[in-house]
Amino acid sequence: MPTIYETIFATLLWATMTCLVVAVPGTALAYLLARRSFFGKGILSTITTLPLVLPPTAVGYLLLRLFANDGLLGANVLGIDLNILLTWKAVVIACSAMSFPLFVRTARVAFEEVNPRLEDMGRSLGFGACRAFASITLPLASRGLVAAALLAFTRALGEFGATVIIAGNIPGQTQTLASALFSAQQSGNESVANNLLLVALGVGFVTVYATEHLTRKSQKTKGGSR
Amino acid sequence: MSENSNLFDLSLRLPLDRFELNIEYTGSARMLGVFGVSGSGKTTLLEYIAGLRKGGRGCLSFSGESWENSKEGLFLWADKRRIGYVPQDHWLFPHRSVRGNLEMGKRRALEVGVDFEAIFERVVEVLELQSTFDSRVDRLSGGERQRVALGRALCSGPQLLLLDEPLASLDRTLRRRILRFLIRVRDTFDIPMVIVSHNPMELQVLCDEILVLEEGRIVERGSPEEIFRRKSMFDTAKEQGFENVFSGILVESLDRTITLELEHEGQPVRLRVPKVEGSVGDRVIASLASDDILIATEKPTGLSARNCIPARIEGVEETELRQFAIASIGEAIPQFVVELTQDAIDELSLKPGIDVYLVFKTNAVKV
Repeated sequence: MPTIYETIFATLLWATMTCLVVAVPGTALAYLLARRSFFGKGILSTITTLPLVLPPTAVGYLLLRLFANDGLLGANVLGIDLNILLTWKAVVIACSAMSFPLFVRTARVAFEEVNPRLEDMGRSLGFGACRAFASITLPLASRGLVAAALLAFTRALGEFGATVIIAGNIPGQTQTLASALFSAQQSGNESVANNLLLVALGVGFVTVYATEHLTRKSQKTKGGSR
Repeated sequence: MSENSNLFDLSLRLPLDRFELNIEYTGSARMLGVFGVSGSGKTTLLEYIAGLRKGGRGCLSFSGESWENSKEGLFLWADKRRIGYVPQDHWLFPHRSVRGNLEMGKRRALEVGVDFEAIFERVVEVLELQSTFDSRVDRLSGGERQRVALGRALCSGPQLLLLDEPLASLDRTLRRRILRFLIRVRDTFDIPMVIVSHNPMELQVLCDEILVLEEGRIVERGSPEEIFRRKSMFDTAKEQGFENVFSGILVESLDRTITLELEHEGQPVRLRVPKVEGSVGDRVIASLASDDILIATEKPTGLSARNCIPARIEGVEETELRQFAIASIGEAIPQFVVELTQDAIDELSLKPGIDVYLVFKTNAVKV
């Protein structure tokens, strides 16, 4: 049996990996939704948001279908076995699927709050589109992006429904803080459940507080100085 | 670039919400002013020239370099046009200090072979930005922001400077101060400029050609003297009053006033105006509202007003709202516009060719 510390460490590691997985595509999609008009934007935005409103178990089941042998990303279709299901990789994938919409929504707001006129100013000073993004938009949206990453981290930390469907709840392999708390409660192990609850409360409080702090600060600075 | 070649060759049709911007202009004015009331398409035109707005049909070339040609599918974005753009709201980068803002165009300046360090020092000196260097831009005053925005554009080594209502967001005192900086920039850097404004005064001082825009079309074109003394222009300034703008050399500094000598080939014309910072020999820009001037047909005596200038009536104009006399006080000096009532015009029998005196108080002149 893994110790409580091992479970907490594994959960923090997987939540961190989730942040890394969602950060790049999430930032790109958030920028696209915030700045560009294109056909199907509304549909893309809705699909991105869906995991927020679907039952996590439904998202988990969808992922299960996707990675099953006969699924779109299964061994029969791809020709190779990615060996995802019931492994730590499935935990990260489930957490990413559930955190992605939260990251994108927060990052999109961060980009929308940066006035596009500032990018225009960059262009007039000789910046190409990529440099204007990297030197102006990204630094000005950075607090919002960090807040988005923290929210994604928190969401991954508490993820349960989708994870147990595709990763299971295997102690020492795929058990997370949330599923360990569930197991402890189900088996009547109150002291472990209480400890896990305290850890969840502490980590959740710190990250949400930090997110709020960052969001407030970023609203003060990124409007541009007129 | 040849002295005689056209700087601008512009043919544009761009549909807007209320009308179509339809501009045909070829010209070589180095200081081009675009005048018009709010909503006439001035800022859109400037953004189009800057390469920040797409979607028009037509072509645009500057100094022989083609920037847009919709038939050939050519469109250069702002970063390829080497322009300096100063928008009305400044849009300084809030994550950078004043120095950081000024250095944002460094890479472009170096790419086009500009000695950045030299131009940076010159800009800081001309715009007096030393004391604000390490300040955050959100702590600057309106005038400081305007100067930093101007400096940022200048430091990037532009071949054309585009100014959108450079003084509009400032109060009257600050407007005059920044206007002096703009004159310094014009005289020091020798960069062609397009200045958009709804204020005749700043365009008269800065520009050598004016385009008057109305609902997206150029309705008049000419020198500031021609344009702003046309009858049709008098009512455009109906809310703030028509201002006569002139420049002179400071020749005498007294306790509370100074004496300005207007440029005149014959007998010098001297005016007593309020004290302003500067030393003898400096050029001073001044303005005088058209309704602050009295006309006398004989030289008045026993007057408290310090300025009594001989002049000749060149014309009497009547608009829908008011009546004006146009008076000349010297060949090289812009004509003065004087607002009068019809009674006064009739009683004094004002008509072109008669000699009069223009009378105004020292404090009526704004410097």
